[in-house]
Amino acid sequence: MTPTAIVLAVLLIATLAWAGYRFQRLLRPLFQAPREDRLDHVGQRLWGVVTNVGGHSRLLKNRYSGTLHLFIFSGFVILLTGIVQAFGQGLVPGFSLAPIGGNTWIALLQDLFDVIVMVGLAMAAYNRYVRKPERFRGSNEKDATIILALIFAVVFDMLLHNAFRVATGTDPSAPWRPVSSGLAALFGLVGIHGRSAELPAAIFYWTHVLAVLAFLAYIPTSKHLHIFVGIPNIFFRNLQPNGVLPAADLSQPSIGVKDVHQLGWKQMLDLYACTECGRCQAVCPAHAAGQPLSPKLLIMDLRDQLLDAEGIGGHRQAADGGSRELLGGRILDQTLWSCTTCRACMQVCPLHIEHVPKIVDMRRQLVEQGRMEPRLQDTLASLTQHGNSFNQSERMRARWTRELGFEVKDARKQAVDVLWFVGDFASYDPRVQPMTRALARILQRAGVDFGILYEAERNTGNDVRRVGEEGLYEMLAQHNLETLGKCSFQRIMTTDPHSLNALAQEYRTLGSTYPVIHYTRLLEELLTSGALKPERPLERVATYHDPCYLGRYNGGFDAPRQVLARLGLRVHEMGRCRENSFCCGAGGGRIWMDDTGVTERPSENRIREAVALGDADYFVVACPKDVVMYTAAVQSLGMEDRIQVKDVIELTEMALSLEPAAVA
Amino acid sequence: MGNVLVYVENSETGVAPIAFELLGAARRLAAGLGGEVEALVAAGATAELAPALGAADVILRMEHPALSPYLPEAHVAALTEAIRSRDPQVVLVGNTSAGIDVAAGAAAATQRPLVAYCTGLAVDGEAVVAHSQVYGGKLVATTRTEGPGVFTVVAGAFPGAEGQSGGKAAEATLAAPATLGSLHTRFIAATAPSGGIDIGRADRLVSVGRGIGGPENLELAQELAAALGAELGASRPVVDSGWLPKARQVGKSGMTVKPKLYVAVGISGAPEHLEGMREAELILAVNSDANAPIFEVAHFGSTCDLFDLLPALTERLQAS
Amino acid sequence: MHIAVVVKQVPDLVEELEVDAAGTGLDRAWVKMKLNEFDDHALEQAVLLKEAGGAQVSVVALDGEGIDQVLYAAVARGADRALKVDAGTQEPLDSRRAATALAGAIRDLGPDLVLTGVQAADDLFGQMAPFLAAELGWPHVSVVSQVEVAGAAVRVQQEYAGGRMATLEVDLPAVIGVQAAPQPPRYVPVSRLRQAMASGALETATAGAGAGTGGAAVTQLAKPEAGRGAEMLTGSPDQVAEKIEALLRERGLLRG
Repeated sequence: MTPTAIVLAVLLIATLAWAGYRFQRLLRPLFQAPREDRLDHVGQRLWGVVTNVGGHSRLLKNRYSGTLHLFIFSGFVILLTGIVQAFGQGLVPGFSLAPIGGNTWIALLQDLFDVIVMVGLAMAAYNRYVRKPERFRGSNEKDATIILALIFAVVFDMLLHNAFRVATGTDPSAPWRPVSSGLAALFGLVGIHGRSAELPAAIFYWTHVLAVLAFLAYIPTSKHLHIFVGIPNIFFRNLQPNGVLPAADLSQPSIGVKDVHQLGWKQMLDLYACTECGRCQAVCPAHAAGQPLSPKLLIMDLRDQLLDAEGIGGHRQAADGGSRELLGGRILDQTLWSCTTCRACMQVCPLHIEHVPKIVDMRRQLVEQGRMEPRLQDTLASLTQHGNSFNQSERMRARWTRELGFEVKDARKQAVDVLWFVGDFASYDPRVQPMTRALARILQRAGVDFGILYEAERNTGNDVRRVGEEGLYEMLAQHNLETLGKCSFQRIMTTDPHSLNALAQEYRTLGSTYPVIHYTRLLEELLTSGALKPERPLERVATYHDPCYLGRYNGGFDAPRQVLARLGLRVHEMGRCRENSFCCGAGGGRIWMDDTGVTERPSENRIREAVALGDADYFVVACPKDVVMYTAAVQSLGMEDRIQVKDVIELTEMALSLEPAAVA
Repeated sequence: MGNVLVYVENSETGVAPIAFELLGAARRLAAGLGGEVEALVAAGATAELAPALGAADVILRMEHPALSPYLPEAHVAALTEAIRSRDPQVVLVGNTSAGIDVAAGAAAATQRPLVAYCTGLAVDGEAVVAHSQVYGGKLVATTRTEGPGVFTVVAGAFPGAEGQSGGKAAEATLAAPATLGSLHTRFIAATAPSGGIDIGRADRLVSVGRGIGGPENLELAQELAAALGAELGASRPVVDSGWLPKARQVGKSGMTVKPKLYVAVGISGAPEHLEGMREAELILAVNSDANAPIFEVAHFGSTCDLFDLLPALTERLQAS
Repeated sequence: MHIAVVVKQVPDLVEELEVDAAGTGLDRAWVKMKLNEFDDHALEQAVLLKEAGGAQVSVVALDGEGIDQVLYAAVARGADRALKVDAGTQEPLDSRRAATALAGAIRDLGPDLVLTGVQAADDLFGQMAPFLAAELGWPHVSVVSQVEVAGAAVRVQQEYAGGRMATLEVDLPAVIGVQAAPQPPRYVPVSRLRQAMASGALETATAGAGAGTGGAAVTQLAKPEAGRGAEMLTGSPDQVAEKIEALLRERGLLRG
């Protein structure tokens, strides 16, 4: 072996040993973590890797950043050949990729992608240091700079190494290296060619090799771990339906997460996969409202807590060396309570990190310790006592039917086609009750055979579960399932998307198999079949707000839009629509909590967006909570003369020329 | 012939106002029963207290060092002793903190029935008919007590004026019971209302109840109070939850207030609260429950959601 | 230190209360019961004492519909034992009879301190704490907002009208009527409640004979006669605010 080969081999072995040791330290807690079963549906998992990694499907939703990432990523794959070549020829005399095209098409690709990666790097640098999008706030800037510099060193040195080799006149791949050849021609102008190019070629060979080794050594201490962890993290992603939260084992003396080691292994892997790109932060309604939550910082905090606990360090180390409690220490209670569980973060994360389940798991522990604000505590007590969040009697639940003028069937006593699960807000909130009555009149008009559960209905527990009160959720769910089990009906319709989510998704894990639809789906059917005929088309412009639990969680994007179209409305979409919809701020139990620390309510931010469309007469919603949230937002912004909040129900009633439903 | 015995609550500041309300009620009862009004004043020294009790026919003075400052055990013994020695048909005690201690304790010791939370008392033949607020003021119970009985009376139910008038009463001294020498309760210290605020002197008050939801929403009420130039008050649940200091509590075991303007926000109006504010000149109540008892005493009311109404009102007042 | 907390259920005032056909009692068929709010504070105070200095907490109640749930909830909150006293009836007793019925069982239990709520929505014939103290022959203080252990005694804060308070020292054993615990009663997650139900057997005891109140009887129970009542302001929040402003202006109550 040549002395160079020995030096290179020692360096390589040392680096690999260090990186291997780091990885072993990083992965050790995963093997001691609680089980999560993520090996089902291998085909689907692999396909996800193909589309997400190969196709950059989520990354490209942000076109600029997606493109630059694609440049760097694809360049890396190609340039891996150059790296293999560099180390191969250094270690084994005579090593060459020539037999498979190392001097021909591979050389060409290397040369081209050298440039493409550098373009990508320039775009990244411009993005990070000039455009400075808000989503980077709180990310480790130093780490990002080091990584960009190392990548630049690897590619730039490779390019120069190739250019000087071409300049020596001995490189057989020279004809296939247009960029290197161009540079070599430039060097020739200043007299560097032939033998005089050999020294710089050697220098850049070594700087390239050292840069590669430095990169390898640095990665396991940096957010660029995603190079290795990203693909497995996408492969092991959660394939459960969006609306199903992981269950908590209530037979355990304690549930939830209060220590980072209680996270499941995949939840830990998530922490390593995070690149701090901040896409989640950019879409988070709590963050936009000025609340302490950023999904990105939450993941970083958990990661740092884990690294500190493992004594690994290397990231943002806690000032006290990591002796801090996780809950109330590294992560404040208020941070966890800020989440609306809107799922925007999970929808946008290129690495499929699962933010919401982690938050709920930590909330479970807060609930167990009774750490919550008084209003939430009162609401949970009311839900325990009366089965509704309004601290009202069960017997008041169907009171809205009194002013209806006709009897609504009692689904407990007679068979019905559609069992209408009305929900708390639609039943109890005086601001929503007129709409509930309007829907009853519409169904009556269409000749739908429907009934309700009267005082036997309970809150579905969808948001109770997301607050972290798992036991109460189960109690409510069991009560509802028992009641439904005694009724005879074809399908369930809900007013509230949150009820829809629980009944259609969460209850399935408890054995329910009922078909469940949202009322917008039924209205769409009735309008399509002609059971409902609009008598006076509305001929106005509407913008439609996708409720999180109807859209992102349950895919109900089209039915409400089809209804609006059939009512004669033109829908002018907001920028944030469909799966990118912006949460009203009420989900995940937030509606039972206060607005402390909120600088701009998400609902007001949203109304501004709608008004900025310029021509929208109606701000259309399809969730009772939204009626409350947005009506208040329009009032507090003083924009009553600019836009009107209307539920799909109200518009339907207007178009049918039934009695107009007044909404306070 | 049945006499009426009034337990005169007192402290270092003198006779408690409730005592005059009881004396007034006692006069009417005594007239119906054809008996006399006797007032028991039990304290370390009674000379300065007795002259205020002219509305009684007989003032029973009982003195013992253990009787001042107030100790529940000592006063139960004192009232028990007075009932045993005077055997009145009716015993009236205020429904105050001390009243709860003393009335039930003495009723148990003397085997007499107790009727609590009285807002009305009348004689019907030989019997006493009482109206009591129960179930948080949602229902009124009428009771008939044929023989001797002890009644606790809600503050503010009877006018105090009748009990303050009157001439010169006969005085008698009652011996303190021997048990006062061997008590199991000791006085340690008194605490004045804290915080330097005295909502009793404010002529405008905005009081918040449980309907405000949580401490984070107090700001809404504070802003309204500022716009009105009012002090902030609270009902008991708000104080018990630690959202506002004790000094701001209106009602029983808090302050009794008589401001020119009283705005009750999210207060349902339990009797304990009403007794502390029903004398206000103008009472305005905001509560989403149209059946809340607060609307019985309020002059004007609204069932608007307070989270909508308060900001709207504050804005209006600031603009005017 | 052994603390007994005496609890009971009262009608939930959230519900409309209906009077029975006889017109002297509640129509129980429609009444929903819940833990007396003051008893809830008494329990919280006991658990706080347990956490502060170690104590055994026993929760005691008369048997009745739904009482098991209340007792399990108390165990979930931190009580060590739960005792259900059978008075031979499921009907609620007035506090005086209840005190007589409970006294024997409490004496057998042998606590150093008895805490219970200062009052209840339905204690027309007097409050539990002083009656219980009389039955047991122990000293008693009501309307207490704080309890601390001081050797063989407790120091309590008694509240009076006008925000005055006094600290009293009471030798043990004693009975305290709790107005409020230093902190609001904590939330009990349903999971914890279920664990309590799964693990804990309730102890039972038989009540002593209950003495009657004698002499006083309810002749009528009714909704209060409508007083003069408030004039209700209706309309949107803005309209109501406008009306209020006008009212205040009329009466010269606007600021300045």
